[in-house]
Amino acid sequence: MITSTRPALSDLNVIVAGQGGDGSLTVANVIADLLREMHFNIYTERDVMSRIKGGAASAALRASRCERYGLGDQVQLLVAFDASGIHNAAERLSAGALVVYDDSDGPLPSGVLPECVDVATAPFARMAVGELSRPIYKSSIAIGFTAHALGLAESATHDAVTRRFERLGPTLLEANLRAVDMGFELARDRNAQASYELQAGAAAAKPRLEISGNDALAFGFLVAGGRFFAGYPITPATEIMLWLDKHLPRFGGIVRQVEDELAAVNMAIGAALAGVRSMTATSSPGFALMQEGISQAGSGEIPLVVVNVQRGGPSTGLPTKPEQSDLEMIVYGGNGEYPRIVLTPGDPSDCFTLAVDACNLAERFQCPVILALDQPTGQNMATIPPFDLDNVEIDRGKRLDASSIAQLDVYKRYAMTADGVSPYAVPATPGGLFLVTGNEHDEFGRVSTNAGNRVRMVEKRQRKLDQAMAQGQLPAGRCVGEPGAEVGLIGVGAMFGPLTEAVERLSAQGVSAALLQPRTVWPVLPETIEFVRQHQRVYVVEQNSTAQLRKMLVSEGADGSRIESVLRFDGRPMRAGTIVDAVLGEGGAQ
Amino acid sequence: MLAGLEAALAQCGIAKEDVLVVAGIGCSGTLQNYVEANGYHALHGRVLPTAAGAKLANPDLCVVGAGGDGDGLAIGVGHLVHAFRTNPSIVYLLMNNSTYGLTKGQPSPTSQSDYSGARDMPVDPIKLGLAMPGTTFLARGYSGAPDQLSALTSAAITHASEGRGFAFLEILSPCVAYNDRYTEWPSRVVSIDDDASYDSADPAAVARMLDKQAAAGKTPSGLIFQRERGSTPSEPPPSPAAVVIDLSSRGPDYAALMETFQVRASA
Repeated sequence: MITSTRPALSDLNVIVAGQGGDGSLTVANVIADLLREMHFNIYTERDVMSRIKGGAASAALRASRCERYGLGDQVQLLVAFDASGIHNAAERLSAGALVVYDDSDGPLPSGVLPECVDVATAPFARMAVGELSRPIYKSSIAIGFTAHALGLAESATHDAVTRRFERLGPTLLEANLRAVDMGFELARDRNAQASYELQAGAAAAKPRLEISGNDALAFGFLVAGGRFFAGYPITPATEIMLWLDKHLPRFGGIVRQVEDELAAVNMAIGAALAGVRSMTATSSPGFALMQEGISQAGSGEIPLVVVNVQRGGPSTGLPTKPEQSDLEMIVYGGNGEYPRIVLTPGDPSDCFTLAVDACNLAERFQCPVILALDQPTGQNMATIPPFDLDNVEIDRGKRLDASSIAQLDVYKRYAMTADGVSPYAVPATPGGLFLVTGNEHDEFGRVSTNAGNRVRMVEKRQRKLDQAMAQGQLPAGRCVGEPGAEVGLIGVGAMFGPLTEAVERLSAQGVSAALLQPRTVWPVLPETIEFVRQHQRVYVVEQNSTAQLRKMLVSEGADGSRIESVLRFDGRPMRAGTIVDAVLGEGGAQ
Repeated sequence: MLAGLEAALAQCGIAKEDVLVVAGIGCSGTLQNYVEANGYHALHGRVLPTAAGAKLANPDLCVVGAGGDGDGLAIGVGHLVHAFRTNPSIVYLLMNNSTYGLTKGQPSPTSQSDYSGARDMPVDPIKLGLAMPGTTFLARGYSGAPDQLSALTSAAITHASEGRGFAFLEILSPCVAYNDRYTEWPSRVVSIDDDASYDSADPAAVARMLDKQAAAGKTPSGLIFQRERGSTPSEPPPSPAAVVIDLSSRGPDYAALMETFQVRASA
């Protein structure tokens, strides 16, 4: 190892850009594998066009000593297979960044890159065609070249590439390894070297998972005893169905891909009615189609879990891009008034935990529970500590069996109770015959338009959420930062990562800050209102154009005069820098 | 119709706790209130996915869906096509009165073109079902022929209870208020049950019969089509409702699955 005077870097942001089919994702994956083995925490971000193949496609990752749930503002390594990659990433490059450019199709665009970056150009595609007859191997040449420039070992790179390419058979694997060697040779000849030296932090290797929010949520549903899932494919929620389809049957569960979202939500309702923990998952326009079904579950008091991995709207919108513009639809949508619980996980660990909570809350309070994610929370991957499987609890609420029914004078599906929750029996329970309906009904489930009954039933249903709050049964939010800080930051979902970094950076600049990531967004918990009260200046950070979360908080009692909004709705992820700038008055609301 | 259903359930020896009636919205949407069984009043048009979901979750239940021609052939017709295709072992009673009675007599998808306000040719759900390769049971009854209807209901419940698939029974039930065909239908509806030469398992023979009756201005009733599934599953269907979900029984399996997400790190 050469002793180096290069500055140490423990937070590396990487973009690999090109056209779909260039192998950008492969390059990013192998680099991530190598950095992960050096004990970096890894976060990977997807940025693809909404089309089947091709189009501008980039892969981004962050390797950090800290646990990070979002990319940094600046990029220290850019690997570009064409000029568009240079154009798209140029403004995010940090001083001292390394740019690796494939100039097979033309020279590096002039005047685009800042002067303070190091550039290494090489004709990867031409070399691949010349030596290995196929341009596809350019990605493995780029891997070798970049690995050398980062100071990564050739043997480790070989191992990583082998693990990724083994399944393609020996011929293709050999060619890719040869391409890696070509990349290393070229980088050595040219003395290509980054201006920084990578330095991972954590010494002891603790077991970690690398998982997306969608997969973590699906796993949480399984562990919570979820055994029925119906869905219709839709970006960016499809992975939940795919994961469950692969694993749920082994545990006695059933997954059905059905004809549309109307079938999905109603099939999940039917399974829930039969006493099985059931879920459906969709994204924004699909969630709009499910509104009637969710309202039905509210009226019929059916335990239903619905996932909305939000994407850019309105209508078909931006199918692959982040946005949080369904919050009002999720909280206020569906016809009529009914209780619902809306949970907002902020990272994969949260997705697991809140999926379990959602299943319990749905049965405990006999109402729809919505898991509101956003595209980054659902699809991006992070390294996280293993889930705490030993402390998962399953609570089926007031579920009756034959002997408990036998002790009742009479079983009434919608019996009036102090907490608004009626004991329930599932089909095939002797003595537990029920009528369940979305029409207004009496205690026996018989359709009723009686005015007095109507008022009692509306109030009964509403009591459930009051009780859930009073008993502290709804998941509390996550706070980071100094108590009594001057600045308070609030955001849900994928805002958690950038908010955490913003708090750190503000503190480093002498501004004391704290953040609250509400994990129950509906009903709005008293802690959220209290957080606003405790801070002189509050910023609600969200990815929509109309400040939906802020409006919700104000309508539920938060002091709006001390709240400002930080909004982003350009279809790109929120970054810490945007938040910091807003707080320091160097940018403000978009 | 109601009597036919209760008699058929009793005849098949199915306990009332094990029956779930899923009714749609419309004039047919009150059936569940009168049958001694578990009852669910589904959203308009969503009887079939709801009923299929309950049956998949607990295959030991006898699930009977019931809806009208508006519910099943207008707002919910997409689900009917897919029910023929996916063939869940549920009964579906489609009560066809060829009008929207509950909203006071608008034309329905099965209204004849002579009906006030109707402009188009009607849907024939039996022909629709025959066009689907997955279909296993098609029957048509008539509320004016209660004995036949009772027998057809029994046959449908038996078909579904034996796990043979989706039992579709159309029931001609005139709306006495808005589309009273009780005077016309007795001469129009013709039972095919007495024709010993009729092969209800042969789709070509069924199609010929339907064409012949239509040409004669008749509406055939009876067990029109029945066949076995293309492939018979070797194992009984999974029963999610029967799975014990407490963690003690599954802890090691979950841990093993979690390990598939674990990352490599050099020592």
